[in-house]
Amino acid sequence: MNNEFNIVGKRVVRSDSLAKVTGEARYTADLKFPNMLVAKVLRSPHPHAKILKIDCSKALKVPGVKAAVSGFDSYGVKWGVFRYTQDHAMLHTDKVRYIGEDVAAVAAVDEETALEALSLIKVDYEPLPAVFDPFESMKDGAPQIHSEYKNNVNIHIHIDVGEVDKAMEKAFLVREDTFKAAGEAYAMMEPYAVVALFKNGYLDLYMPNAGPHVRAKALSNMLKLPLNRVRIRHINSGGAFGGRSEVAPGDLVASLLAIKSGQPVKLVLTREENATASRQVHDIVATVKTGMKKDGTILAKDYKVVYDGGAYSSTGPIATSIPFYVYEECYRFPNVRYNGYRVFTNKGIRGMYGCHGRAFLAGNESQMDLMAKELGLDPVDVRLKNGLKPGEVTATKSKITSCGLKETILEASEKTNFRKKWAKPSKRKGIGMGCVAIMCGFPMGFRSGSSAYVKINDDGQVTLVTGLVDNGQGNESMVIQVASEVLGVPMEDINLVCADTEVTNLDPGAYSQAAAFVGANAVRVACENARKRIVAIAAEKLGIKETEVGLKDRAAHSIKHPDKKMPISWVVREAFFRGEPIVATGSFFPHIDFEREWVTRPWGQMAGTFSFGTSVAEIEIDQETGKIKMPKFTSAHDCGRPINPMAVEGQMEGSIQQAGVAALTEGNLWDKGHLLNPNLLEYKVPLACDMPEIDTIIVSSRDPAGPFGAKEGGLTIRMNAYSAVACALTNATGELFTELPLTPDKVLTVLERKKGVK
Amino acid sequence: MKMTRVSFEINNEKVSLDVRPYETLLETLRERLMLTGAKEACGMGSCGACTVVMNGIPVRSCLVLAPEADGAVITTVEGLRQDGKLHPLQQAFMEKGAVQCGFCTSGMIMTAKALLERNKKPTKKEIIKTMSSNICRCTGYKKIIEAVEEAAKKI
Ligand code: FES
Ligand code: FES
Repeated sequence: MNNEFNIVGKRVVRSDSLAKVTGEARYTADLKFPNMLVAKVLRSPHPHAKILKIDCSKALKVPGVKAAVSGFDSYGVKWGVFRYTQDHAMLHTDKVRYIGEDVAAVAAVDEETALEALSLIKVDYEPLPAVFDPFESMKDGAPQIHSEYKNNVNIHIHIDVGEVDKAMEKAFLVREDTFKAAGEAYAMMEPYAVVALFKNGYLDLYMPNAGPHVRAKALSNMLKLPLNRVRIRHINSGGAFGGRSEVAPGDLVASLLAIKSGQPVKLVLTREENATASRQVHDIVATVKTGMKKDGTILAKDYKVVYDGGAYSSTGPIATSIPFYVYEECYRFPNVRYNGYRVFTNKGIRGMYGCHGRAFLAGNESQMDLMAKELGLDPVDVRLKNGLKPGEVTATKSKITSCGLKETILEASEKTNFRKKWAKPSKRKGIGMGCVAIMCGFPMGFRSGSSAYVKINDDGQVTLVTGLVDNGQGNESMVIQVASEVLGVPMEDINLVCADTEVTNLDPGAYSQAAAFVGANAVRVACENARKRIVAIAAEKLGIKETEVGLKDRAAHSIKHPDKKMPISWVVREAFFRGEPIVATGSFFPHIDFEREWVTRPWGQMAGTFSFGTSVAEIEIDQETGKIKMPKFTSAHDCGRPINPMAVEGQMEGSIQQAGVAALTEGNLWDKGHLLNPNLLEYKVPLACDMPEIDTIIVSSRDPAGPFGAKEGGLTIRMNAYSAVACALTNATGELFTELPLTPDKVLTVLERKKGVK
Repeated sequence: MKMTRVSFEINNEKVSLDVRPYETLLETLRERLMLTGAKEACGMGSCGACTVVMNGIPVRSCLVLAPEADGAVITTVEGLRQDGKLHPLQQAFMEKGAVQCGFCTSGMIMTAKALLERNKKPTKKEIIKTMSSNICRCTGYKKIIEAVEEAAKKI
């Protein structure tokens, strides 16, 4: 890839990696403060029960216990992303709605004392009938989990574009299939942890989070503290994958304990608590009906998708919509109807996931292949035919600007010799392709944009301040790289202050895939504004025109006569002399239709731009055991210009693990309200030996509005890798999957079905 | 509470300290010696995030009781740098982009270090097999394996 830049587009060592390889990087559980207490949480043993009484008096008498709290010590303010979804008080006084729900908590001088105290808290419950299956939950007479939601339907998203029924009648080929998938575990390696300190009326908090500003706002509401008195501080995060986006019950618990005790409080969840009581992923059942023309053109789609929403609303409307949108941003649907239902059950709280929606997306893609086959077409042609092109508008009226979908399809298929392999599958071997698009940011009101500021210090070093957060993707390093490019100083000269609500401005966070397109764009603008000031002074001092000034290697130089130069530090000192230090702000607000609303107005521009990608999986099926091996996996990505190709590859490789290989192994198992595999022994996260040979391709593309042409990098693969695997199964067997993950038992069912047909 | 005295050598320094008899080595390292490079991700031996090298063997410090470490020679990720110079594994993990969130990193590096100490020229297959004792949720392992291969060349 040719590159006119000094550092953007280069494979640079990430700025955060030194601290991480030496063990110096601090995560929440590593923090220590004088007089810090240990917190432990008492959790509900019932899936659904009335709380009659909570008595903490005996716990408080244990020597070394400094505070105990329950819902009766909080204001009962309920959290929900939207006004109409506020139903989660996090510590409740009326009832509990899932096993593992936070009921009360203590803070003590050490863990043993805290655990002893916990055993002395007395809670009287009156167990209520519970419901665990969303379809049962929707029936009349099912236990009501929240009184305000009839038939436990939390959210219903209804989208209807064109004339679906008529189009289905006209279609040459119509198919309807139902697909299921178990919710996955986020299984981020860092179990949830939070440290809270309350001093002089200010609450300081450290926790892994995907957006400090949204978190602070939620906690200021729940604690009835002014927003500027709740300060979320920067700390490293050991992975998020969507699971750290919202305020967590532990945040409220630790805050209340710190306020009550007047001492710092640390709460660290165990691996099991992290699985049962932080957040979980939705189980999904998707019915997909497709009408196709004889030439493979999709005429109509009709969807009914049911999401097991667990006990509370969480990001409900968003979670119920996203799988549909990432699909309609990829293909042309002249007629489409989507009915998404998110239904309450007595299971843990659920949130968005980087790989969210696999039943829906893998279902669509493998059904498309089966239909193509029936029509004598191949998956590549069908995807090329139906794939959106630059300048087109999606069914719900989002304009696609830059779009490298076609390039990803072509490059991935050429690299794998796809058409040939697909046309001649053996019983044992199959190849499959999955495509998807991803919005880079979505409407979040005034939080959809980002603002950053930068100051150049008197030695020419730079301080960069942004609300952007890094959950391990490399966002911190990415913005340092962008600043380094604009300001002509090496990355090590830039000190980043980020994700600290006291000093940083609003930013969407590592949420909605906005970090590169929105967060880094704000940084670019701030640095360009500072650059203008540097250039103006340098031009004056060097006696050249401003347009002739270049910045490189800590110096301002004449582009025509590179020997004519002066250090940036001199420019900065001159600026100080003039009483106008070089500081600058910059903002970026994506072009989004802010009238758009998830439930009431599901149309209009969703995001400033979209990323695209194609994955190809090659599998081998053991006919006797049903075990699938995956020797090769190829992914091609249009992420605009990659700021750091090595980091983008890392995201793609991680996605192949977390969505592709996971399609064979990962899924939460339930027995009524009990999660059966809450730890890493029973929940199978793929290991190095489970990984296929990986080939990643970044197609050449530039987004006109992205920073240096960049867009979201990696998530696209996270949402198409499982489709490739499911399609490979279809290619090998001629059958569709019915349930993910494709563990041997499920594969055997597919193989049996095939035998039955013969 | 009854405490037990343990002595061991850690990162080239001799230490002697009182621990609870049932305390894990991971707790001792993190809480008493402030060596927080080893992480607790599962606490039950299933992930390898807490790996340290004890008497040349990579151990899951969440499964070792502190008194068992009496008399042992232990290296943690904090002890890898020699005279301010990074260990080739640390260097390779950085350069190959093998680090994302970093929570598994110290365990990965310590597991790899023990491997390279007992097998100077491991094949790629051997590296994959050994590194499969540890979980990483972020990277897909490709760059981790490449980093170990690269470091093996340099040692
Ligand atoms: S924390 Fe020791 S193996 Fe997971
Ligand atoms: S880098 Fe995040 S778990 Fe390995």
